[in-house]
Amino acid sequence: MTSAGAIIKAIESGSKHLLIKRFTFRYPEEKLKFVGDGYQFDPKKGVGIAGYRGRHILFHDKCTGCQLCAIACEGIAEAIGMVKVDEQWKQNKKGIMPQIDFGKCVFCGLCVDACPFYALFMTNDYELSSFTKEHLIYTPAQLAVKPKYQGDVEIVIDDRGATHG
Amino acid sequence: MTSLEDKFEETKRLGLQIVRESEDERLMTLSVGPQHPGSGHFRFTIKLDGDYIVYCDPDPGYVHRGEEKMCEYRNFIQNIPHLERPVIHDSTNITYAYSLAVEELVGIEVPRRGQFIRAIASELNRQVYTLYWLAIYGIFLGHSTMFMWPTGDRELFIDLLEALTGARVTHAYNIPGGVRNDMPEGFRDRCLRQVHYFEKRLKEYEDIFYNNPLFRQRTEQVGVLTKDDAAKLGVTGSVVRASGIPYDIRKAEPYDIYNEIDFKVQYMKTGDSFARSYTPFLDMRESCHIIEQLLDKMPQSGEVRAKLQPNPKGPPGEAYRRVESGRGALGFHIISDGTPKPYRVKISVGSFRNILALPYLLVGQRLADMPAIYWSLNYWPVEADR
Repeated sequence: MTSAGAIIKAIESGSKHLLIKRFTFRYPEEKLKFVGDGYQFDPKKGVGIAGYRGRHILFHDKCTGCQLCAIACEGIAEAIGMVKVDEQWKQNKKGIMPQIDFGKCVFCGLCVDACPFYALFMTNDYELSSFTKEHLIYTPAQLAVKPKYQGDVEIVIDDRGATHG
Repeated sequence: MTSLEDKFEETKRLGLQIVRESEDERLMTLSVGPQHPGSGHFRFTIKLDGDYIVYCDPDPGYVHRGEEKMCEYRNFIQNIPHLERPVIHDSTNITYAYSLAVEELVGIEVPRRGQFIRAIASELNRQVYTLYWLAIYGIFLGHSTMFMWPTGDRELFIDLLEALTGARVTHAYNIPGGVRNDMPEGFRDRCLRQVHYFEKRLKEYEDIFYNNPLFRQRTEQVGVLTKDDAAKLGVTGSVVRASGIPYDIRKAEPYDIYNEIDFKVQYMKTGDSFARSYTPFLDMRESCHIIEQLLDKMPQSGEVRAKLQPNPKGPPGEAYRRVESGRGALGFHIISDGTPKPYRVKISVGSFRNILALPYLLVGQRLADMPAIYWSLNYWPVEADR
């Protein structure tokens, strides 16, 4: 191919994209769809369940205060600390539950793998920004809240190209 | 074309001129980086005679994090999240080599389905890395479209990895004994659809970038690394393959199920900047075929992770395993003294080996060709500093 021909081919290849819908999407109005409700772990089978690794969710009725999540986090991010809670649970005599500092957390999910009681999972919520560092420390009560995440944008591929539709 | 010895002599000879720099003011010293928008966290000093580079001194080490020392204070599982930090765009491959070495040390075998999923994640991650690298190469040469397209298409693979592993960039997915979770439902179809679409896109990349005379004129016959020099310098990955040596760890020392996969090692013979930028592109195309094959041959059900005690430890001994990463051979040498924490970990990375070629390639070239040569070496500063 001559070099003039190659340049015309390059321009043609690029200008074709003027007619194709853009690939990006408008983030705060539209959000990506995730698989499932977040990363979970099945300690009986010893294998995780695929899902997005966002903010944690803590089930107070299952947590025994065994501190295994905090031990798993030692040396990774040291984001988990055990704090006293006022609640009375039969399985949690000491009354301690994890508190997570999302300013330190790296979202590796190894604390979820360490929990043998199905008490700590991860959710699809990733919008955690705050004005102060203190607000990033989530208490056990805050961690128990199930997030409302609505995502419906997926990659759609047709003959003309790919878009987030 | 000059051989390596000639270039040594040339550098030495020119080094004498450098001493007289203050006298004749002919040579100019230019410091590139570490705040240069393109060089990454990396600095090199070059000396210029007019427009020509006569001397180059790479100065890595700005992002040394002590990863190897950090490994000695954490157990085998806790090491995973911090080990992928040196190269977050290729995080599955760096933990792949680590997991292989720990598996050899502890003596566990990965279930067959786990091996396949691992290889798929590794290939997808290789695409993510190569596209990012290509985007930067495009903007280095002033080609804005080539920055936007790979960055956009990278999203295809990032979304796949997000569905598979649960994180967009730092996956922490490989673990000694297999992978952390099974594939989600419908992943196979989604993966095939997006990989097929990407293969069509590669054709457009060729039209707009690789067959573009504006790009070819800037890279062809620029920074030629001959076959002998490449072997002597010990470069690896796409750099050694561009110089005419078809060496790929996936073929030379197949790990996991790569010996069952039919693929060709892509290489070129010219050894110039164009070949070094085109070889990763050919690798991307080959990677698409590998992903398709892996998805076809994969067992439909089964274990993905071997049972492992929470705090694994092996007998005293050592293990060395390596994988082909986006930048070449990536090896982990782990010595264990029988405790749950490694006694010593040594990481051998492709980036550091590739940057050794930079002083020899830059001497005698024009300053304007510096970005084309530097980024074609497939160098990732953070990984090289570890």
